[in-house]
Amino acid sequence: MSIVVKDLVYIYGEGTPYETVALDGVSFEIGDEEFVGLIGHTGSGKSTLVQHLNGLLKPKSGQIFVGGTEITARKKGLTNIRRKIGLLFQYPEYQLFEETVYKDVAFGPSNLGLSETEIDQRVREAMFLVGLDFTAMAERSPFELSGGQKRKAAIAGVIAMRPDVLILDEPTAGLDPRSHADILDMLDKIRKSRGVIVILISHNMADVARMADKVIVMDGGKIALAGTPAEVFAQDEFLSAAGLGLPPITKFIREMRQKGAKIGSNPLTLDEAEEAIDAYLTTKRGAGA
Amino acid sequence: MAIIKIESLVFEYRKEDGAETVKAINNVSLDIEEGSFTAIIGRNGSGKSTLAKNINALLLPGSGAVYVDGFRTSDDSAVWEIRQRAGMVFQNPDNQLVSAIVEDDVAFGPENLGVAPVKIRERVEEALHSVDMYELRKKSPHMLSGGQKQRVAIAGVVAMRPKCIVFDEPTAMLDPRGREEVMGIMTRLHEEGITVILITHFMEETVRADRIIIMDAGQIVLDGPPAEIFRHSDQIRRLDLDVPLAVELADRLRKRGRAIPWDIIEDKEMVAYLCR
Repeated sequence: MSIVVKDLVYIYGEGTPYETVALDGVSFEIGDEEFVGLIGHTGSGKSTLVQHLNGLLKPKSGQIFVGGTEITARKKGLTNIRRKIGLLFQYPEYQLFEETVYKDVAFGPSNLGLSETEIDQRVREAMFLVGLDFTAMAERSPFELSGGQKRKAAIAGVIAMRPDVLILDEPTAGLDPRSHADILDMLDKIRKSRGVIVILISHNMADVARMADKVIVMDGGKIALAGTPAEVFAQDEFLSAAGLGLPPITKFIREMRQKGAKIGSNPLTLDEAEEAIDAYLTTKRGAGA
Repeated sequence: MAIIKIESLVFEYRKEDGAETVKAINNVSLDIEEGSFTAIIGRNGSGKSTLAKNINALLLPGSGAVYVDGFRTSDDSAVWEIRQRAGMVFQNPDNQLVSAIVEDDVAFGPENLGVAPVKIRERVEEALHSVDMYELRKKSPHMLSGGQKQRVAIAGVVAMRPKCIVFDEPTAMLDPRGREEVMGIMTRLHEEGITVILITHFMEETVRADRIIIMDAGQIVLDGPPAEIFRHSDQIRRLDLDVPLAVELADRLRKRGRAIPWDIIEDKEMVAYLCR
């Protein structure tokens, strides 16, 4: 499974005084099982872009291929595309509506015309993958769950469709640190067990640095930067001009360096930073400073 | 002087089935000093938002009492006095903006207080200046960025001239720049003398407060100045919360046998210490 996007252009309110070019010649490729971090300030075009990926929006020009099929060409067959591409909006728990968690997770698969057994299997699998205990949770009302559990139930509803691509818009917003960590672990688990492409839209640079294989930075409807987290987060001046920033730990090390600390590496995670700082302190003591 | 007095507050929610009740707030007593900056943290469901809504009479105590500047929230006739004194800013700016033009939106509150039109203009302009949105006063809110919208929502509260503002996760939906903007405005309002209560999941934001309250299961489990609170980092982690980056790094380096002073909780201090 791969995604190829070529010269995508989208204009909001074309021909009105509010005309805005939301996507301005966007091209990129995503390979098999890649974890992509999509970053950019509010209004940079991230949401518009992902709405194209599952056919919610049609581009003015350009092409999108999902697994070799051009989804921008076909008039029909979008249902099939949406089945392949699971898109999770911000605060997906607002879209929970069924009486029980089971029914809510089963809603999507039920519409695929699957057998009861197959639906049941999918619901159990999805609840397991998101970390909701089936026995304890299946028959409960989704509205009685905690914030983190509701979020997981909503994600399970998308997982139950067995998508090849999972796109999540700020899936950890408003969650406490524990639920936040749970959701990220879950994404990793789902990618590994189901081999899906994950596209994570996030304002949390630390999460992106830790989780992503590839980072795409959007600014003014264009792809401003793309590469590995190490490559992208080496561009601190550019990122701050784009209204973004560095992962806090990367920024911390940079500030140490500005104060004269000799740290050669560019840590992106706490573990790496801990090593680097410890080594620096040892050298400093050795030098008698 | 305490602007907020909370005495043995209990607040119960009835569960969906109607039979069981859950104590969202279980016997909390608390004074908040006028002009202070308090951060309230706790996992989802710990009771912090319920507590906040009890402060401006959006929710009323099951038992116990809440006083805002001397007015008791359960006193029906005091509701407007209370809401004028204790304003509230929520997570999603889109849910808080009502007008098609920024300055109309900011005027909405004072208009409802029956303030004279001339005075309203004065208040609106002052409020817009205080959040650096005066230049954009004629814009439509939907043309603004998340951070700018949230600043308009804050201006709407500031125009009520409150003594106290409760911010309930005001930066949860914002990009890094928007978060910086809103934190900057919050710090400035505090410096101008407004009592600030900040509910957040971002630990870096709490180091700017002069007091941190940690809630769990409807009760206060820790209460004190940031440097003191973050000495309990193990307990904080057990409550499913994080500690600020500098505290985390200090803990890790201590485990490696390095003596990092306990009063270091901010990145800047930590950088200076390591590079001294």
